[in-house]
Amino acid sequence: MSMLDRKLRRDLRALLTQALAVALVMACGLAMMIMTRSLILSLSTTRDEYYSGNRFAEVFARLKRAPHSVEAELSAIPGVAQVETGIAVQVTLDVPGLAEPAVGLINSLPERGEPRLNRLHVRAGRLPEGRASRGELAVGEAFAEAHGLRPGDTISALLNGTKETFRISGIVLSPEFVFEAPPGAALPDNRTYGVFWMPYRELATAFQLYGAFNSVALTLAPGASEGGVIAALNRILQSYGGRGAYGRIDHPSHRRLDDEIRILEGLAIAFPLVFLSVAAFMTNSVMSRQIALQREQIAMLKACGFSNRQIGAHYFKFSLGIVAAGVVLGAAGGIVLGGLLVDMYHLFFRFPSLEFRVDYGVLGLAAAVSAAAAFTGVAGAVRRAVRLPPAEAMRPEPPARYRPSLFERFGFARWSGPSLRMAFRNIQRRPVRSALTCLALALATGILIVPNSFRDGIAYVIDFQWDVIQRQTVTLSLVEPGPERGLHDFRHLPGVVRAEPFRFVQVELKSGAITRRLLLQGLPAEGTLSRVIDAQPRQLRLPERGIIMSAKLAEVMRLQPGDTVVARVLEGRDREIELPVVGLAEDFAGTAAYMERHALNRLMLEGDRISGAHVVVDKARWGEFVAAVKETPRIGGCMIKDALRDGFRKTTAESIGLLQKIYSFFATVVAFGIIYNSARISLSERARELATLRVLGFTRGEVGAVLVGELVILTLVALPLGLLIGSVFAAGIITTVNTETVRLPLVLTPANYAFAVLVVATASVLSAVFAARKLAEIDLVSALKVAD
Amino acid sequence: MPTSTPASPSTASGAGRNGEPVYQVRGMARIYGEGTAAVTALAGVDLDLFAGELIVLLGASGSGKSTLLNQLGGLDSPTSGALRYRGRDLAGMDEAALTLFRRDAVGFVFQAYNLIPSLTARENVALITEICRDPMAPEEALAMVDLADRLDHFPAQLSGGEQQRVAIARAIAKRPEVLLCDEPTGALDVHTGITVLEAIERINRDLGTLAVIITHNAILADMADRVFTLSDGRIVHARENATRGAVRDLAW
Repeated sequence: MSMLDRKLRRDLRALLTQALAVALVMACGLAMMIMTRSLILSLSTTRDEYYSGNRFAEVFARLKRAPHSVEAELSAIPGVAQVETGIAVQVTLDVPGLAEPAVGLINSLPERGEPRLNRLHVRAGRLPEGRASRGELAVGEAFAEAHGLRPGDTISALLNGTKETFRISGIVLSPEFVFEAPPGAALPDNRTYGVFWMPYRELATAFQLYGAFNSVALTLAPGASEGGVIAALNRILQSYGGRGAYGRIDHPSHRRLDDEIRILEGLAIAFPLVFLSVAAFMTNSVMSRQIALQREQIAMLKACGFSNRQIGAHYFKFSLGIVAAGVVLGAAGGIVLGGLLVDMYHLFFRFPSLEFRVDYGVLGLAAAVSAAAAFTGVAGAVRRAVRLPPAEAMRPEPPARYRPSLFERFGFARWSGPSLRMAFRNIQRRPVRSALTCLALALATGILIVPNSFRDGIAYVIDFQWDVIQRQTVTLSLVEPGPERGLHDFRHLPGVVRAEPFRFVQVELKSGAITRRLLLQGLPAEGTLSRVIDAQPRQLRLPERGIIMSAKLAEVMRLQPGDTVVARVLEGRDREIELPVVGLAEDFAGTAAYMERHALNRLMLEGDRISGAHVVVDKARWGEFVAAVKETPRIGGCMIKDALRDGFRKTTAESIGLLQKIYSFFATVVAFGIIYNSARISLSERARELATLRVLGFTRGEVGAVLVGELVILTLVALPLGLLIGSVFAAGIITTVNTETVRLPLVLTPANYAFAVLVVATASVLSAVFAARKLAEIDLVSALKVAD
Repeated sequence: MPTSTPASPSTASGAGRNGEPVYQVRGMARIYGEGTAAVTALAGVDLDLFAGELIVLLGASGSGKSTLLNQLGGLDSPTSGALRYRGRDLAGMDEAALTLFRRDAVGFVFQAYNLIPSLTARENVALITEICRDPMAPEEALAMVDLADRLDHFPAQLSGGEQQRVAIARAIAKRPEVLLCDEPTGALDVHTGITVLEAIERINRDLGTLAVIITHNAILADMADRVFTLSDGRIVHARENATRGAVRDLAW
């Protein structure tokens, strides 16, 4: 090892805590970046492998009923590679141990062999196959887990009005149901919604569909146009009650997975970038100080014949040491955290195996970016140092020019002691340094705001979605839409206090080339249970004509109030209706479109029909109510609001919450790092001056007051600035969580601000205490003799 | 007895000495700043310095002696005039060439020692021997300044005189042709100062190195071959000692 490298090693050791503080900040940024990028890589590669391994289809369609002979027609569509037809029906379930009825989607399995597309992965047991398979079905893992179901257990389902009991042959996964949630739902509710598979013959027979199919999945030939295939498919299926084919982008499970990846992508860039810039800034301040302290050493090296390049390289290596520590810590942290976090995704996404994959490309890139940032940070200081003629550098730095501070000129001096006066003069003497320290403290404050605004945003969403918008206890839906008088039956269920009818219709909204499939909700004009709320927030009255839609939906469809949207009805008669957009509704989970119910009935060319009702149930009679619902065959679905809210809390809220806790921890580390570092630099810059004061008879307390006073003044200035910066960061970063599945509002609470102030204040006090203790250690005589 | 004469170019140039001069300085000036703020540090210096000589430059603070030393050492370049080192034009060299010149030919000893505090005595010397062409072993250089038993001490563990002798060892380890010492005893007491000067003198004698010492302490003049006194950026007095006085007889 060369002597310069030996010097480097010893200098780094002497600066260990400071170097570590910088390395830690850098590590936090890198850990976040590596963690999120690796999660993205894990999710997307696992998804792609699963999709291709289990032959996930590319185009999907539902219809009323078509004979098997139509399958040949579908295969003949130009651009179609493989076609799989089958039956999918929705049934009401009676699950042991579950009070309310649950909804099941039963899919058919081919009578012989494996499905060509959307192949199942058997987790436990086996598929219902062969002659002995009668009365057997396979169940999706999420539902099975929610109810502790195992192969051999039984479950009852209402098949076309007949209650039958099935034996569970196995637990399975399907690429079609990576995200196992009811159609149109943004959130999984694995207690009341499950997916099942049973042999075609048995299912088809029960629903009088033998020899026919009602669902289609297909893959495209290489280079085929998805749009063209969908159009051809729709044309063929039109006469069989086709409900509109759609591609993967509209596939609910696929889209939910896509959205999750998109949220992570947002978080993977913005937040770590802030941390890395802070780290670059800290590297710069540490290195500038180090170089200033070694001014005479640099001069000596130059005098002795070291070239500028050698000296520059020496200090670059110094910062490289810090970067290397940051990269190692960050990579290790990111990999460990990512490995822990990936398990969380089992809550939402069901893959045969979701293995954590480290994104080494990003790791390399991150290391390069940090190194570059640190180098840029150091370059200026090194350039200044080597440019200094050695003869000049050998002399001590000329004394700085002091003058009475502004503060004194305004006449406050009378009230301040010499310590405070010195603190003010120091700040003013080096305005750039002071401003930079202030900025660092503000950044420390700012980055604390972001993670907690995530937490507050989620809390707001939970309140808004399930208290402001939805006030019902339960949403009951009919197996088939029925006349309005059915509402009386709902009202007479035990415990029902209030019931409001709704008519939900599957539609495809079209605006230009953009289409979205969703449930168009027909509600009372001014309902009291499921309400339409705008951004104010205040309740919107549904007009007699026109449609109100989620602001997010309008945004992705590029619509504004006053524009017209085309709604293609996907049930009953196939027709297209033009609807004016009359208002925008605020919501945060999923997207929705609303109409006044009678207006919707009129458009459907039907009488007063309803699909179900939102009801408020007296909690005291809950048991009776649930039992009655289970005994009512016409009720096909029962969504309990609290269960949905819990589902959201346990899944989306928990995942974002976990990220928030990790980020919050990192932000706290960074805040401490920045503040500690500022105190250290300030102490080292002033060791001689402070020692001189001690020699002149100042007490340790008075001298400490100069140092601490400066930090306190700067902190006081930095705090409001930091809160502002934090709010801007939060606004910038939170809006990246803006997908059709989930959106976060920017919520900044006093508690959030208070937390940031508290952390920064605590860090400042601890750093001040530390500095004061270091001050006590200064050897007065040696501090005055030679600068080190 | 030393002979003393008023300064004149001929004596300052050392006319009558044998061989080619190591340094040949003619009309050298160094002016800092421009216009009204210009400060003249050197105002036309003529000087010839020869191998093996021990030169003392005397002068009060601000007389220009440090500036002269910086020009000789290639730390700074003159504003005008000629400065030749073994026939090579130092005044016209660029930064890279000056760096090489310092690396190969010049040993510096500074008043404030300028040791690297994080390196031991041996390592401080090794720092320099690593980058030059034909160095002596750091241990050998330290032995020449009587520090063979302090090799692994850090600067903070050494006395001021010892630190300065480490600095001298560092300067001579490269076997320089010139040893330039800027107030080498400025921070030392008499006794310690003497040991440091003895080290410089021994190296000058044993290795034949041209040694230039600048000081404001006139007593050091006795140990020199020639003594120049500077004032206001000019050599105002030159004197030649017929015999050099022994360092241990100096007292201040």
